[in-house]
Amino acid sequence: MPIATTELKTKIIESLNLQDIAPEQIEDDAPLFGAGLGLDSIDALELVVMLEKNYGIVIKDIEEGRPAFKSVRTLADFIDARRST
Amino acid sequence: MADRSPVITGLGVISALGSGIDEIWPAIVAGQSGLKPLTLFQSPRYGQIPVGEITRDLSELGAPLHGSRSDKLAWLAARDAILSANLDTQSVADRTGVLLGSSVGGTHDTERFLTALIKHGKVLARPTRFHECSSPVDLVAESFGLFGPSFAISTACSSGALAIATAAELIQSGQADVMLAGGTDSLSHTTWAGFHSLLLVDMQGGCRPFDVARGGMSFGEGAAVLIIEAEAHALKRGAKILARLTGWGASCDAHHVTAPHPEGAGALAAMQSALRRAQLTPTDIAYVNAHGTGTRDNDMAEGKALKSLFGAHVPPFSSTKRFFGHTLAASGAIEAIVCIEALRRQQLPANPGFSEVDPAIGLSPVTKMRPEKLTHVMSNSFGFGGNNAALIFSTPETVPQTRPTPSIPAIVTGLGIIAPEKNSVSERAIQPPLPPDSIKVRACAPLDAAALTPNQRRRLSRITQMAILAARRSHAPDATKRLAVVLGTGFGCIDEGAVFIENLIAKDEAEPMPTRFPGSVHNAPAGQVAIDLGAHGLNSAPTMGEISFESALWQAMNQIAIGETDEALAGGIDELNKYILAIGKRWGFWNEQTIPGEAAVFANLACASTNKSPLARVTAVRLGRCRRPFDAKREADWITNAVDLSKVNVMVSGAKGWSELDTHYYAVVEELSRRAGRALTHQTYKQDCGEFYSASAVGFSIAVELARQKQCAVLLYTLSLRGGKALCCIEP
Repeated sequence: MPIATTELKTKIIESLNLQDIAPEQIEDDAPLFGAGLGLDSIDALELVVMLEKNYGIVIKDIEEGRPAFKSVRTLADFIDARRST
Repeated sequence: MADRSPVITGLGVISALGSGIDEIWPAIVAGQSGLKPLTLFQSPRYGQIPVGEITRDLSELGAPLHGSRSDKLAWLAARDAILSANLDTQSVADRTGVLLGSSVGGTHDTERFLTALIKHGKVLARPTRFHECSSPVDLVAESFGLFGPSFAISTACSSGALAIATAAELIQSGQADVMLAGGTDSLSHTTWAGFHSLLLVDMQGGCRPFDVARGGMSFGEGAAVLIIEAEAHALKRGAKILARLTGWGASCDAHHVTAPHPEGAGALAAMQSALRRAQLTPTDIAYVNAHGTGTRDNDMAEGKALKSLFGAHVPPFSSTKRFFGHTLAASGAIEAIVCIEALRRQQLPANPGFSEVDPAIGLSPVTKMRPEKLTHVMSNSFGFGGNNAALIFSTPETVPQTRPTPSIPAIVTGLGIIAPEKNSVSERAIQPPLPPDSIKVRACAPLDAAALTPNQRRRLSRITQMAILAARRSHAPDATKRLAVVLGTGFGCIDEGAVFIENLIAKDEAEPMPTRFPGSVHNAPAGQVAIDLGAHGLNSAPTMGEISFESALWQAMNQIAIGETDEALAGGIDELNKYILAIGKRWGFWNEQTIPGEAAVFANLACASTNKSPLARVTAVRLGRCRRPFDAKREADWITNAVDLSKVNVMVSGAKGWSELDTHYYAVVEELSRRAGRALTHQTYKQDCGEFYSASAVGFSIAVELARQKQCAVLLYTLSLRGGKALCCIEP
């Protein structure tokens, strides 16, 4: 079953301590990094930890995660793809 | 003044590649690496990848039995440095100081305490006695009987280089004739897991600096100490001069907590500052020992900085990190010794691990050791918080260019204070994993978090938020002025560090904490203040127990005095932490008089020609160490040597904190009053802000107010339990 983006948004908010953001404020296709939520390379590393903790997905090179971290949608697709292999 | 030019007369080094340069250099010539599988601790998650671990028994090498692993490494390097300089320490004791970089400090030993606590519920606090990053300085100074200005610098991986640069300033400014300067850091599970959490570690058997396929750093440990002397002093005692330290410079990216500025702007500024100091041009530099950690971002940024500085003629350069591993705070000092030896032997060290050029960098390091005519060489060191330092060493035969060293006086133009309210004693519960207990504390009121940006609120620890808020209160922004930030601290971000290590041990390396690790280094608050205010000048985090603030004040004042900055924030910061409370209680430190406290204080300093209106002038700052037993007459001599007693009406002291120091403070006030022929007013502050290492920053703010109100000179005098002392004179 594909991962629900709402669930993923909650996990992102929790892992990045985005205190002032509600899940519905994050659009599925909006960029997570740079402008958007103002995330940076350290947040990317926190997402790596979040993926392992919640979905058992291990990323050893940040370059591997970079395309997945573009938006909530790309991240959800990445999780689905990894979980189905 | 040419006679105060810093020269190097002795070296001591211990590393995975060997102990002593006579053991290390043949290994460098042979291209051997010191990296081998980790044995110091178990790492289920990351395995036993090769590291630069020292596997020799340190006590067999002669190290003292007491002290942390970093302490012992520093002691061994210091001993060898003193021997190689043929220095009779006793005859120069009062004019010799110790300045060491350390970012790990006693963390490796503290991990034993936390493991016993978390895994077995046992409180075995002994290993934490040497936790502080200043502990190596205390051990070395005490052990070799040195009483000159001494403190530690904890700016992550630039610490060692910055300590050497600061020691040179202490010599040039006449504060000391001889300095033991360098860096020390042992391996620790904390730094190991921390850099792994940032995915910055090469998992394939060794770092490959500047290579297209580089995959990160390799760990190492070690210590290196240089004997730096004023040239006239070295000549007078007939010492052999190994090399000259002709240039040194520092800068801050003020860009990001871990990532370097993508164009290497800060690295470039540090190198330019070092060249300026040496009065040299880029074409004079015949070799650069690069920071070259082997991480993608560092090597890229450093490569760009080298190209910006040297254009199409980048001199031969190499990273020697694969020989030693990245020894963090020691690396700048170890690499300084590599540079000095390269000058002495006229040989270029190679860059092991490199095989293919990265087209994005477009530079190839030295791949094979070769002879080369070397007169001036440069060494780079960069750390978390975009903290950059560069050093230039030259052959003894070179004539140092005598740049007129200005001596610009500094004034205080603003104070930013976050401190406990008077009489605000509250009961604080001790949290797990410590056994349940509670203790009286003096705590700051809740912070005005609304003033912070959302990213500062969600990511930064409380102590770093305190630093930002205090800094903003002290500083009126002026984009036309260069700004340095120097923030002294005793325990640094101990809450953040504790959360990181507790999680590491409790979860056996699962669930890494990439935000917390760079947030736990001592220079995290100073680095974040620099980002918040856009401060690109020197960024430093000195640490030295009770004189941490004065160490910061000296460094900040000196940057203004030599014209390297227009303004500087000098501060002190420490926070209440459950381990400080619980272990302090266990050891009987806390009682009815001595109540633990916390504060963040910044003073905005500006050169006297500024158009900002002054609150007060700082006319003297001196650092040193007390002889034992304590002698109030000797102390009064030291004070009156630096301060005109006829102008002083008030002494602000650290009395009413540690009760065993009270009698010393009272004896000094009495002796000074006797000499002045009138009673000095004795003002204390710890009854209000509580006891913590950087509390004298609160004392400084009181001294500034008193100097204004009473229109008289105020003396701030501070003693530390471990032997440090500081004075500072504030005048209207």
